[in-house]
Amino acid sequence: MAKFTRRRLLAGAAPLVAAPVLGKLAFDGDAEAAQRTLQGHEHGHAAMGHAAMIGGQAPAVGGPNDLDELLYPPAALPHQPGRVREYTLRAIDKEIEIAPGVFFPAWTYNGTIPGPVIRATEDDILRVRFVNAGSHPHSIHFHGIHPSNMDGVFEVVRSGEEFVYEFPARPAGLHLYHCHTTPLKKHIHKGLYGAFIVDPKEPRPPARELVMVMNGYDTDGDGGNNFYTVNGRSFYYAKYPITVRRSEKVRLYLANLTEFDLINSFHLHGDFFRYQPTGTGDNWEYTDTVMQCQGQRGVLEIEFANTGRFMFHAHQSEFTDLGWMGFFNVVD
Amino acid sequence: MEGRSAAGRLFTGWRLWALVPVVLLALAVGGFVASGSSLVGLIGTNPPQPDAFDVRRVEFEPGEIKVRVTNPQQDDLTIASLTVDDAIVPFELDGPQTLGRLRSSTIVIPYDWVEDDPIAIGVTSSTGIETVEEIAAAVETPGFTGGSVLGYAIIGFLVGVLPVALGLLWLPSLRRADQRWLTGFMALTAGLLSFLGVEALFEAFSLQAAVPGAFGGPGLVLLGVALSYLTMTFLSARFSRAGNGALGGVALATLVAVGIGVHNFGEGLAIGTSFAFGQLTLGSFLIVGFMIHNVTEGLGIAAPAAEDGVSPSVWRLGALTAIAGVPAIFGAWTGGFVANDVLGILFFGAAAGAAFEVVAEVVRYVMRRDPDGLRSGFAVGGFLAGIAIMYATGLIAG
Repeated sequence: MAKFTRRRLLAGAAPLVAAPVLGKLAFDGDAEAAQRTLQGHEHGHAAMGHAAMIGGQAPAVGGPNDLDELLYPPAALPHQPGRVREYTLRAIDKEIEIAPGVFFPAWTYNGTIPGPVIRATEDDILRVRFVNAGSHPHSIHFHGIHPSNMDGVFEVVRSGEEFVYEFPARPAGLHLYHCHTTPLKKHIHKGLYGAFIVDPKEPRPPARELVMVMNGYDTDGDGGNNFYTVNGRSFYYAKYPITVRRSEKVRLYLANLTEFDLINSFHLHGDFFRYQPTGTGDNWEYTDTVMQCQGQRGVLEIEFANTGRFMFHAHQSEFTDLGWMGFFNVVD
Repeated sequence: MEGRSAAGRLFTGWRLWALVPVVLLALAVGGFVASGSSLVGLIGTNPPQPDAFDVRRVEFEPGEIKVRVTNPQQDDLTIASLTVDDAIVPFELDGPQTLGRLRSSTIVIPYDWVEDDPIAIGVTSSTGIETVEEIAAAVETPGFTGGSVLGYAIIGFLVGVLPVALGLLWLPSLRRADQRWLTGFMALTAGLLSFLGVEALFEAFSLQAAVPGAFGGPGLVLLGVALSYLTMTFLSARFSRAGNGALGGVALATLVAVGIGVHNFGEGLAIGTSFAFGQLTLGSFLIVGFMIHNVTEGLGIAAPAAEDGVSPSVWRLGALTAIAGVPAIFGAWTGGFVANDVLGILFFGAAAGAAFEVVAEVVRYVMRRDPDGLRSGFAVGGFLAGIAIMYATGLIAG
């Protein structure tokens, strides 16, 4: 009974065998079970297991507002060329609890995975002071248009040193920042990444704004992810659904920083949204599922037609089952 | 008188002196332990422990999977997360969440598993290391009910008792056979048992290789082999003292029966375990295979018994059958209801030791009785035939 096989061996078979509980988890497969669970949840004594990945039954770490800093971005500022936007990012080695009782020895910007949301308006001067308080050399590579000496590739910042990145924020859109020190895969999957929003000159229409960074954790070092999340904690938004209003415009900045798996995706239940790839241009797609390659990102706009709980998750069933799943709680 | 008591004092003194190394060792060990990790720290930091669980037993019940895990390493090990087929699942614990060395817990997972499908259970530690246990086919684990007890007993009877009894029916024919032919059949017995011994030894080592080091190094296999070999040697000495000094006839047949009995216990254990864990489909074909395979065991007992001038009583033959065959029933029960790998290693080691000891007895017998000894063509041919028959019938059993 004691064969210790690495997850890698399973990887080939995973798509074949990963699915059986999804229907149960996903609510839409078994309406009766879902009903039972909802009732159980509301009465606070749901039976464990089976359909139960919601509310108190969802195995997620922490309290209800722990991830607010990452979910709700700072407000957009009006266009004002030459204004300086200052941020400080500190690389910190930190053990992070990513699922109940599971600790990941992470490398972080400012102690969280993903790092803080960096936001500027087009033509702002972005000035990011980077302090490497970690034990390894790191850097910050911003996506966008900037001089080569601000690209985070050539100026590796050693442990204990500092560097100031300064460049005009452009183009408008949703971008990324991440460490670009080699070995790249290690430096990124350990947690050094985050979302970087550049607001357009013409402000976007008012909306309830959210940020979700999709990621994974390879906790046993076999080159495959053991947990998947948005904003760093598996099943977090299943435990604490995100409350939004019906008919209110919800703007979701979605980025994929998953390592090892080539793609990730976002699927919304019970409604459709408009999707603007990279948050640039006029090319909006009307859909309920988008796919993003590693490093791809885009802006979603949703106006919910109905109230109630609506699931969102990766449409890779395995990712869903391993933590990348949550709910919107739509209220009037 | 004074001289004697002085010698007595001296003797007592030397006996006390024998304790000195023990006391000094205790002091040295205590000192090392008290120093904590500071001594190891001189060399460098310790690498982390592997944080792999030992999955002892996986049981499937309707709507539920039970996983028994043990911590095989020095450091504490915490059960943090469970996956079934790469999906995180809720679970409950019957036992502690953080396991000290060699401590166990049973993980209870509410789960609608799919009958006959392969299934993989992953136990993830607090450091994120996942131990995956793959089950070839999920089948309901037989509970301890009258039906399952009877079922395992019937399987044990079919693969153990019945074939041995059938094999013993060759006894009358063997008794009329020429001495040289009898030598041939005795050598055949040795061949059969050598084959069984090698098989059991291999099984023990492959089980042992899969079990974390803390539970069973190769030494555990040796322990099983030595235990049974020496017990059998002791029995053999008792039997030959009870007889006329040389082990032969029914006494040797009894020893062969004991050896085969130990082997059949292991065989029953393997069948019961595999059946309980869905690793083996016990179709009628397989049972037939085991039956044919094991008829040769009856022949092995009959050959030395045929050497006696008088035919053994029916009761004695029944006893021989029981000694050789009934352990298969106990093995099947043990395997089906309680077995784990560590027990399996011991039992298969014991089976190998018993088989080799009986081979040694038979070889000694042939050397003594046959004028040509081991060089007789009947002895050589019989031995090789024994191995060949086992191999051929083993193909049927798969």
